[in-house]
Amino acid sequence: MTRCGSLLLVLFVATASLAGCATVQPWQRGRLADRCMQFDPDTGRVTYMTHWQESREGSSGGFGVQGGGCGCK
Amino acid sequence: MGANRHLRLGIFAIAALGASVGLIRAQNDISLQFHAFQDTRGVTVLTPDVDLTRDLTDRSSLRVKFGVDAITSASDSCVRCHPGGEHDRRITGSAAFTQKVGAARFSIGGEIGDEHWYGSTALIASASRDFNGANTTVAGGFSYAINHPVRHPSDDQIERNTAKDGYVSLTQTLSPTTALQVGYEIARIDGFQTNVFLRAQVNDELLVGNHPDTRTRHTIMARVRQALPADTFLEADYRRYHDTWAIDSNALTLGLSHRFSAPFLASVGYRYYDQSGVFFYQPSYIGSPQYFTADFRLIPFGSGLYSGRLEFSPKNGVVGLAPGSALTLEYERYRADTGFQAAIFSAGLRIPF
Repeated sequence: MTRCGSLLLVLFVATASLAGCATVQPWQRGRLADRCMQFDPDTGRVTYMTHWQESREGSSGGFGVQGGGCGCK
Repeated sequence: MGANRHLRLGIFAIAALGASVGLIRAQNDISLQFHAFQDTRGVTVLTPDVDLTRDLTDRSSLRVKFGVDAITSASDSCVRCHPGGEHDRRITGSAAFTQKVGAARFSIGGEIGDEHWYGSTALIASASRDFNGANTTVAGGFSYAINHPVRHPSDDQIERNTAKDGYVSLTQTLSPTTALQVGYEIARIDGFQTNVFLRAQVNDELLVGNHPDTRTRHTIMARVRQALPADTFLEADYRRYHDTWAIDSNALTLGLSHRFSAPFLASVGYRYYDQSGVFFYQPSYIGSPQYFTADFRLIPFGSGLYSGRLEFSPKNGVVGLAPGSALTLEYERYRADTGFQAAIFSAGLRIPF
């Protein structure tokens, strides 16, 4: 997990360092406001997709905390 | 009987919330979804969902969700004992309250799941805050779940496990056309985690598996959204996963969306996935292994998922419905290199009110 932890740290530091130079003003946000630019605009769709993928795959998570899962086999 | 009671409770909660509409002027939303899943094992799952979000004040909102999985299966695990197939039903309900305080947003809620051989109850809390003129958002969350698998085919040998799950994420606007999100999630599960349905071959006998009682899962992810010229959008998601059962996996999703004339949005996507197997996986076992499994989710494999999606959102609303409503149709095709395939069809209707 050390490698994963290091990679995570690099990602966070890189992104955080970009924060200072982002100067997107409210009047420049037209395209950012589009639903296609949002992360998970349709939570119901994401919930369903992660649910059936977890019932087929050994890994899960990464996109927010989860509930209790299911007994789907 | 328990399932019917949950069904009535869910319908009542949504009806009560919907009936309170009009008490305040707010941005409310109801989403109706229907999913149909069918795979090469003969399993069919029909899933209707209702998701209602309602503003309570200008700084607080309530979200209620209710769903059913109607499962008709003759899967490779069930068919050994039930050649004609087997039926099950899973009912889920959740509710979450969100309060905004300044640039921060706090949410607390719960989720319950009920099915014949599994029950779960979860408490979920999350928070997020905007910084840097809303160009940066930091979010985090925690959930605690108590789950009760039942040893199949008994109805009374109820086991227990608990899951603690935490995550943090950072969302950053990089330019007027680019947004980036990175995140990390850790989950620890303690208690009974054996698949109660699948039997492993041990010394020529078929036995229910035996999995370790603790599992810690680590996931990191990075996501990018890029607006391209001509009303086209690119999305790229990468997820790296590792757990203490020695599963390592990669998932890379790429998607492209384009708005054709005003009301139509078309999207195509592809998801690549691979994983290693758990440290105790073997096709069959001899001697007295401490851990053994026949769980198809714990073997090494790779897969691809193709998807196509069409959204119709006319300015004046979908035929007779409120302006802002949208109809969505989606088809997905999943293929694993183990020979497993699945097709998923989804239809959704979002109605603001």
